[in-house]
Amino acid sequence: MELFANLAHGFVVAFSPINLLMCLIGALVGTLVGVLPGIGTIATVAMLLPITFGLPPVGALIMLAGIYYGAQYGGSTTSILVNIPGEATSVVTAIDGHAMAKQGRAGPALAIAAIGSFFAGCVATVLIAVLGAPLTKLALAFGPAEYFSLMVLGLIFAVVLAKGSVLKAIAMIVFGLLLSMVGSDIETGASRMAFNIPELADGLGFATVAMGVFGFAEIIRNLDAGAEMNRDLVQQKITGLMPTRKDLIDSAPAILRGTALGSILGILPGGGAVIASFAAYTLEKKLARNPSRFGRGAIEGVAAPESANNAAAQTSFIPLLTLGIPPNAVMALMVGAMTIHGIVPGPQVMQKQPDLVWGMIASMWIGNLMLIIINLPLVGIWVRLLRVPYRLMFPSIVIFCAIGIYSVNNAPVDVILAGVFGLVGYWLIKHDFEPAPLLLGMVLGPLMEENLRRALLISRGDWSVFVTRPLSAVLLAIAAFLLVLTLLPMLRTKRDEVFTESEN
Amino acid sequence: MADTMGHSATATRNTSVALGFCLLALAPQIFELIWSIGTIFGWGAGRGPATVLISHTTALVAGAPAALLGAIGGETKKASSDVLLALIYSYPLFAVAIVTLFMTIKSGQDYIGGVILMALALFALWASSDLQGMRGFSFGAGTAPRMFGGLLVALSAAIALTGLLNEGPALAHYSWRGPLFVMCAILFFALAIRPLGLVVSAFVSFMVAALGSHETRWGEAALVGACLTIGCALLFPYVLGLPMPMFPRFLAQ
Repeated sequence: MELFANLAHGFVVAFSPINLLMCLIGALVGTLVGVLPGIGTIATVAMLLPITFGLPPVGALIMLAGIYYGAQYGGSTTSILVNIPGEATSVVTAIDGHAMAKQGRAGPALAIAAIGSFFAGCVATVLIAVLGAPLTKLALAFGPAEYFSLMVLGLIFAVVLAKGSVLKAIAMIVFGLLLSMVGSDIETGASRMAFNIPELADGLGFATVAMGVFGFAEIIRNLDAGAEMNRDLVQQKITGLMPTRKDLIDSAPAILRGTALGSILGILPGGGAVIASFAAYTLEKKLARNPSRFGRGAIEGVAAPESANNAAAQTSFIPLLTLGIPPNAVMALMVGAMTIHGIVPGPQVMQKQPDLVWGMIASMWIGNLMLIIINLPLVGIWVRLLRVPYRLMFPSIVIFCAIGIYSVNNAPVDVILAGVFGLVGYWLIKHDFEPAPLLLGMVLGPLMEENLRRALLISRGDWSVFVTRPLSAVLLAIAAFLLVLTLLPMLRTKRDEVFTESEN
Repeated sequence: MADTMGHSATATRNTSVALGFCLLALAPQIFELIWSIGTIFGWGAGRGPATVLISHTTALVAGAPAALLGAIGGETKKASSDVLLALIYSYPLFAVAIVTLFMTIKSGQDYIGGVILMALALFALWASSDLQGMRGFSFGAGTAPRMFGGLLVALSAAIALTGLLNEGPALAHYSWRGPLFVMCAILFFALAIRPLGLVVSAFVSFMVAALGSHETRWGEAALVGACLTIGCALLFPYVLGLPMPMFPRFLAQ
């Protein structure tokens, strides 16, 4: 019954007028930016991070969460209407969603995406509430050695579930860890790799790096493509949003399966929403009686991945709220936002700040409801937004980002650093390095170093502490097992198969 | 005929890649030299260009080999940071550049990406070389950076190696126009926001960034830029409550 008391408390917090407004603004702004092609979820959250700084912590996090699932919703809208996935999680939605739109069924496709997302969101909200308390208790049994091993496991998951080369993903994580070392050492206060630049004494700002690697780098990359960006816009008016009874019957099991798959994959640290949508699509295709319908406008192909990615997006809050470990890059940004508001994510947050945690959980449900009610009628506006030419949009984004970064610390050096990381991000893209593991490594870096040092201090320099403590040993064993499994050639082809789904 | 031509083409490309790596190996030194020119005009504190040039040259040509020989001889003398830079960063990259000359690069994307990442890792190793290491069983400030730095050197070397052994995509095409003007706009904004205020710096940066695409139409861009500037000038200070200078300092006074 404690669960319902907690949720009720959360709804009281989330229903306060100011928080409702934050949720609405977050969801709308998130959708708005998510719809713009070439800006993914991570870039959206990074770009809009500064605008939440002036708000109270609860309002700020509610708004950020709203931006997050708003951006995801916006991404699926563009992939259905224009065949440009706004982000990686809706790549597979584009296959059948756009095919439906071409047949003049854009309305039902959008509606099913929204309904599936909403249903998944409801389930995930309850799941967070149910799993939150027991996991927090487990987290309290964790010592530094266990925390370190858990983070290793999280990073390995990120590698396993990431797209592309395993070696490159590990290298990116280590690069991120190295970047996180810049600044003052936590224990000795010695200045590390700061080159006597006073602005670096506090370390590289997380928002700065994220904005550079995801914001500026994406802009520069899109400029490469220039006018060749294929905008296969569905021109005819969207009529009849409501799906037919047959659509609903067809998609109901797909939504259920997608939600279940997404919820599980979201809790696992690592790829989260992206892998969830790919896996759900593959599963539907395998289970279908007539797989050839897929790719030609099968409604299950929209329903399953959309519910899976939304479920995963929300359940990925579980490791963050209970263990303080961000499972993916967006959650890493959330950690950045929490730290700026003076909140240290981890097991204590649930007990010390129930307003924040339960308010945010409840607001997710409200936010999803808002998206379904508000966005379906607004589809026309989003479509018009897509006609804004990129030549006008990109300088606007550059300036908006620059002002945003400047406003974080009122430091011009931060703006220059973000620019430099923009170039770094461009270089990463050109060499097929994934920037998301880098960000994850950067956030986990200080935590990992601190726990590693503490564990070794307690064990008096004995490295075997990580394998002699049972919980830590189990976590490390899973990590090692996963890594070996990924490197096996047979499983590797299977893993690539899941990701190549979008290309056929 | 075609075969020999193809062969000579890869040969020239390898030379240019090797030359590029040599330049990369000297990049920190060149950067400090350019930076030090500012001290002539009294900007910033640091060594003058002549000192920088001389100390880096001696470190590269004489100091580092001497330190290397000394280390083999069992002599432990504290090397200066310039010598260490040459030893830790420049020499390994020169070695890579020489090796590159004799190799067939099967995947330019992996090979060059791996080597540049290795350069970053070596640079981090140098930057953390002056920090304290292990004290008994407790970590010093420099232990973790050196640990991760060393790991990244190994990983990037492995990536470069896959670029030599496995077929893969060639080096992707880099364009200059977009990155150049977007970076100029960011740089201008960073330098102008304090003295010139939000209104001027945002509008000018907008126009500079707009140069990054050849499709830009100027009338349209100026109009959108003006609207965006007004919007931001209202949004950030008033709606979001983030204070920042609005107008040029000399006008405000």
